[in-house]
Amino acid sequence: MLVPIFTLKLNHKINPRMVTMGKFDGIHPCLTAATQAGKVFIHNPHTRGQRQATHRLSQSAQDSDISLLNINQAVSCLTSGTLGPNTTGDTLLVGSQTNLLAYDVHDNTDIFYREVTDGANAIVLGKLGDISSPLAIIGGNCALQGFDFEGNDQFWTVTGDNVRSLVLFDFTGDGKNELLVGSEDFDIRVFKEDELVSEMAENETVTSLCHMHDSRFGYALANGTVGVYDRTARYWRIKSKNHAMSIHAFDLNADGVVELITGWSNGKIDARSDRTGEVIFKDNFSSSVAGVVEGDYRMDGKIQLICTSVEGEVRGYLPASKEMKGNLMDSSVEQDLVRELSQRKQNLLLELRNYEENAKAAPGASEGDSGMGVIPANTQLQTALAVRAATESQKAHIELSISTPNETIIRSVLIFAEGIFEGESHVVHPSPQNLSGCVRVPIIPPKDIPVDLHVKAFVGGKNSTQFHVFEITRQLPRFSMYDYNVQHGGPQPTGRVTFSINDRPQRVVMWLNQNFLLPEGIESPDVAFTCLRGGGLLRVSMQTSGEITLNTDDIDLAGDLVQSLTSFLAIEDLQAEADFPSYFQELRTTLTEVDEFHSVHQKLTAAMADHSNHIRNMLVQAEDARLMGDMRNMKKRFIELYDLNRDLINEYKIRSNNHNALLSCLKSVNQAIQRAGRLRVGKPKNQVISACRDAIKNNNVNALFKIMKAGTASS
Amino acid sequence: MEINLNHVDYMQVGVTSQKTMKLLPAIGRRATQKVAVADHDGVLTCFGMKKGEAVPVFKTLPGQKISRLELGGAQGTPQEKIFVSCGSEVRGFTKKGKQFLSFEANLTETINAMHVSGADLFVCASYIYNHYCDCKDQDYYLSGDKINDIVCLPVETVGRTVPILACQDRVLRVLQGSELLYDVEVPGPPSVLELNNKDGGKEGDEVLYGTADGKLGLVKITESSPVLKWGINNDKRKGGILCIDTFDITGDGVRDILVGRDDGSVEVYGLDSSNEPSLRFEHVLSESVTSIQGGCVGKENYDEVLTTTYTGWVTGLTSEPQQMDAGPGEEVKMSKETQAKVAALRAELEQLQVKVLQGREKYQQSSQSSTAVSAVPVFSVNDKFTLCQDDASYSLTLEVQSAIDNLLLQSDVPIDLLDVDKNSAVVSFSECDSEQPNGNFLLATYRCQANTTRLELKVRSIEGQYGTLQAYITPRLQPKTCQVRQYQIKPLSLHQRTHSISQDRPMNTLSLVGQFSFAEIHSWVVFCLPEVPEKTPAGDNVTFFFQNTFLGTQLEATYCKGEAHFKSDNISTISILKDVLSKEATKRKINLNISYDINEDSVSHTLKMIHPKLEYQLLLAKKVQLIDALKELQVHEGNADFLIPEYRSILDESAHLQEEYKKQPAHLERLYGMITDLFIDKFKFKGQNVKTKVSLLLEILDNYDLNSLMDFFNDA
Repeated sequence: MLVPIFTLKLNHKINPRMVTMGKFDGIHPCLTAATQAGKVFIHNPHTRGQRQATHRLSQSAQDSDISLLNINQAVSCLTSGTLGPNTTGDTLLVGSQTNLLAYDVHDNTDIFYREVTDGANAIVLGKLGDISSPLAIIGGNCALQGFDFEGNDQFWTVTGDNVRSLVLFDFTGDGKNELLVGSEDFDIRVFKEDELVSEMAENETVTSLCHMHDSRFGYALANGTVGVYDRTARYWRIKSKNHAMSIHAFDLNADGVVELITGWSNGKIDARSDRTGEVIFKDNFSSSVAGVVEGDYRMDGKIQLICTSVEGEVRGYLPASKEMKGNLMDSSVEQDLVRELSQRKQNLLLELRNYEENAKAAPGASEGDSGMGVIPANTQLQTALAVRAATESQKAHIELSISTPNETIIRSVLIFAEGIFEGESHVVHPSPQNLSGCVRVPIIPPKDIPVDLHVKAFVGGKNSTQFHVFEITRQLPRFSMYDYNVQHGGPQPTGRVTFSINDRPQRVVMWLNQNFLLPEGIESPDVAFTCLRGGGLLRVSMQTSGEITLNTDDIDLAGDLVQSLTSFLAIEDLQAEADFPSYFQELRTTLTEVDEFHSVHQKLTAAMADHSNHIRNMLVQAEDARLMGDMRNMKKRFIELYDLNRDLINEYKIRSNNHNALLSCLKSVNQAIQRAGRLRVGKPKNQVISACRDAIKNNNVNALFKIMKAGTASS
Repeated sequence: MEINLNHVDYMQVGVTSQKTMKLLPAIGRRATQKVAVADHDGVLTCFGMKKGEAVPVFKTLPGQKISRLELGGAQGTPQEKIFVSCGSEVRGFTKKGKQFLSFEANLTETINAMHVSGADLFVCASYIYNHYCDCKDQDYYLSGDKINDIVCLPVETVGRTVPILACQDRVLRVLQGSELLYDVEVPGPPSVLELNNKDGGKEGDEVLYGTADGKLGLVKITESSPVLKWGINNDKRKGGILCIDTFDITGDGVRDILVGRDDGSVEVYGLDSSNEPSLRFEHVLSESVTSIQGGCVGKENYDEVLTTTYTGWVTGLTSEPQQMDAGPGEEVKMSKETQAKVAALRAELEQLQVKVLQGREKYQQSSQSSTAVSAVPVFSVNDKFTLCQDDASYSLTLEVQSAIDNLLLQSDVPIDLLDVDKNSAVVSFSECDSEQPNGNFLLATYRCQANTTRLELKVRSIEGQYGTLQAYITPRLQPKTCQVRQYQIKPLSLHQRTHSISQDRPMNTLSLVGQFSFAEIHSWVVFCLPEVPEKTPAGDNVTFFFQNTFLGTQLEATYCKGEAHFKSDNISTISILKDVLSKEATKRKINLNISYDINEDSVSHTLKMIHPKLEYQLLLAKKVQLIDALKELQVHEGNADFLIPEYRSILDESAHLQEEYKKQPAHLERLYGMITDLFIDKFKFKGQNVKTKVSLLLEILDNYDLNSLMDFFNDA
């Protein structure tokens, strides 16, 4: 059994996912983590108590090994590593919702301090693509930004939603690093510099990513899933009722291949084989794990796995020695093997007994008192999917109907599916008086994603206590919430996107059939749908020249359709013309709002500076009055000071509201760029994104819309 | 003294009942003993260990489910005859496997407890006790509640026959002939009895008991009255006790107490110099432990604790060191025995696989026929739905022979499902349509991890809301089937039986008079309250006492044909009873004359009872809220010396406080709910509807003070 080689209690809370290991003087590794009250602590057991408390740094009074850094803002992410070309040690990078600080711990100086309007939810440090210097890349609200050691903005792009996790590694195998981004819209995106090369859809917010080896990487989701991808293919995954707080790759059993180490919210640490997900080691903390890192913390040349809990407990593990034979857990292999085999034997025996007993049951037998579930052997379940428009009593939905062909009843239906229900399952359980052989399940998928419905239906007699379980898997097509029945005379969509393809219309029809719930016998690619979610119309039409027009007011839907169609037809680059008047109008308003918020922000900042001057004056006056013994005046001053303070607090509230509004506007601007990009594929897509960025930088609103419409900067 | 025991699996039989494994006496000192174990397939297996391999001595043919196994023999000779009970029959086997006895007890029910002593045979069905001597009827007794176990004091030391019954209504009934000698009150429903030291101690009158809620105790059954020697509470909320044995595993010359529980824990208690028990060793198996024995099985000279679990694993916890003798650089060496064992198993598996494939094919083929039926035998489920006294919630445990694939929980009453740390299954709550037509208040699925055979859930109910909780269990076994189990959530679900109540509290009374029979009123009481025997009690009238596990308020129910009286210091309890009983009576078209006598003092009395709990919870919540802020201050200032002592003590106790807070989720909300009910019920009896004033009440509760609350209750 593997045991920790050291355990520390640091007496400081650790914010989850904000732990790093840095050699700030180039030699001694220090455990660095964000703690409460906008502070970062640096645990340096090797050179203790040598620094004076100046600038940001102060010594902890409780523990001489710990120095505290004042950030004065809630830290949202941190990392460390080599940033500048000529620095002796690692640079510490601390991100908050408004700023990014690069800090030299050794010299106790700021390297740069940049304002980042999109916030920094995640940070990663390293080389990206062909960019020569290492970058500190932060992911914020829909945006990615990379800074070099001078604080210059070297890299910028947008992504679909708020970024939650980042990792840099060579995904494509071309010797250069790609950036992997996990975001709140459940996608893992791969950026080769600012070009999006791959996209993997998951079913929850991607909270952590880590590189394993070669093209393999681990990921964790907010619903308790962890797993491993090899390039774009998922290798394995497991789901737990707890949440994965931190994942890290480390070779714990010393077999030359790293394992995926996961720290869980219930305090569990486990190491899983990268191939199978099998647990090879586990340990428990008394509180949630905060972060998992590695480093040579004992300075003896061996790298340890270091796990930290939110309560400040730190444990270090050395990779297993040879004697342990990869058997890190406290049980003997042979016993487990024997037990497993016996269990299998028992299971087979039970199954065999089931068949034997079944054979004994005479044809026409009924339940009797045995409570056995007896159904005709030829019972087969029929399932059907249909689109149902909204009625007075029910919202528009997709109906899955399940029925038995005979007098048996369906006691209950369980549907396990990812991403379309609140949890992972949906249950229909009719009351005893409503039992029948047919169950209709309304399904309303919140997003346009293809979903496998794993249906389990309990079939038996009305009074059975034991039921047969029928397991069926049905696929719900991606665009299932679109009704082929169109009522004429409604308002026509004003938005459209037009592009040309070199493919036969039959292929487009095939795509339609695969992705929509269509009645049989549709042979023309000119179709119209009613959107069940928002109402409104979707029209797909194709000219003989291969020009396809999608008419809809929903720019997101148009983007999804373009992406789905092009990946079906394997088109790598696609240029498109688009116009979404109502959406563009909205965006125009948002852009003016951004300007307004900016100017309000400036005014408020100026007012704040004014007030602080006032305070200074007043404080001096009050102090003077006190020294002079003029109590009346002093009291007056302090009352004024109190009023001023209240004003300041109010102003702060206004400022923070203003800031939040600004943030949401900026997010929607970033999203607009992303959406405009999604109407194109491949190179044209990247061109649109970077051209839009330039237009925004130059504050050229008209150019921005032109680009979004035409797909190119200016021709 | 520390003891170190290692886990060894010996073999697997079918699903086992409580107390169905015994060790046969050793021939000669320190030799290995043979194991006799019986299972639900009706097979009695006797085996010994030879070189790490289980060698069967004999094995009987399958038959009816075996519920108990005991050893016996003529007095003064080694107790090596094996007796098993299956159905209403008792069979006897010699140690060689020869059947010498088949005795039909002529009971209408199946035997669920048995004791053998010399020529005397004692058997118990649900409520009936029978004593036979040389297979001739001797004595008979009808118990007031279900009998869980029986034991007899040794005749050779005591000089007379003293049978003791463990009954579900929290008493041990000591009999003399066909008559009840006296009752022994124990703190929980006793589930198992065993003689202390195997012979009842020096005077042969000491009996160990274990309860379904996990308590353990020793009681001395003297001729006139019982003497409780010691009792251990179940503070750590472990499972209920299923089996006890005494054996000197620590080697200190005193027999230790071995305990097996239904949550899989195996414990060894040693007795210290003052004869008080203390925990010496603990091990957790993955399934409930149905039998436990101390002895020597695996290897000579190494004592061990032998257990069987629900799914039939016979497992030893042996004192023999299990060292891996692999040197550095070598492959892990598997002992030859294990290698042979594994090879044999694999071969067996392959054969089975072929057979199963054939069976599967045949089954598939039958689906083509229009007359054939698919009938899958019922799989056995070991379930338990019990009220936990200390947090006033129900715990539901389910255990199945093969791994559970998923579980669906459905309830037609509002209940809360609580998370249990132990359980690793992924839970998902489904949207419910609590309105008609389906009336579901809870739909939750548990998707289990591989190899989960046991699931534990916690459910919190609200008094006054009653209905059924259903669990659909689907194991990972082909052809896939699922079984439904039902559990009643009774109107007074948080009440528990108790032996007596204090009479000096102000009481409210509810009286019913009408044309109902004794059986009818009893069935209504069964419907309302947990832990009441389903069988109508003997005699003309009966009295039961209950205690509310959450608030500590009491209820006394006395009823006979045509008349019933309920007394409680909690007005809400009376109100619920009144509503439910009148509803039940209307259902059966029986005219009831309901009268009640409300004691105004009882309300303030109940409020005073709630007061300390509420105050404690409020204070706790306040303290826990402060912890983070105080810690931040501490970090900021570098130490906590500047804080006032009160805050410093919060910091010092922070871990403990947080743990306490976590242990009782929603405790405050529940208390608020009960106070609100109390308020509404108080005025309901006066014929006033005060629902509009509830928001005012909640305001008062937010700034809680006992006096202002009492004033509000009085003035409103």
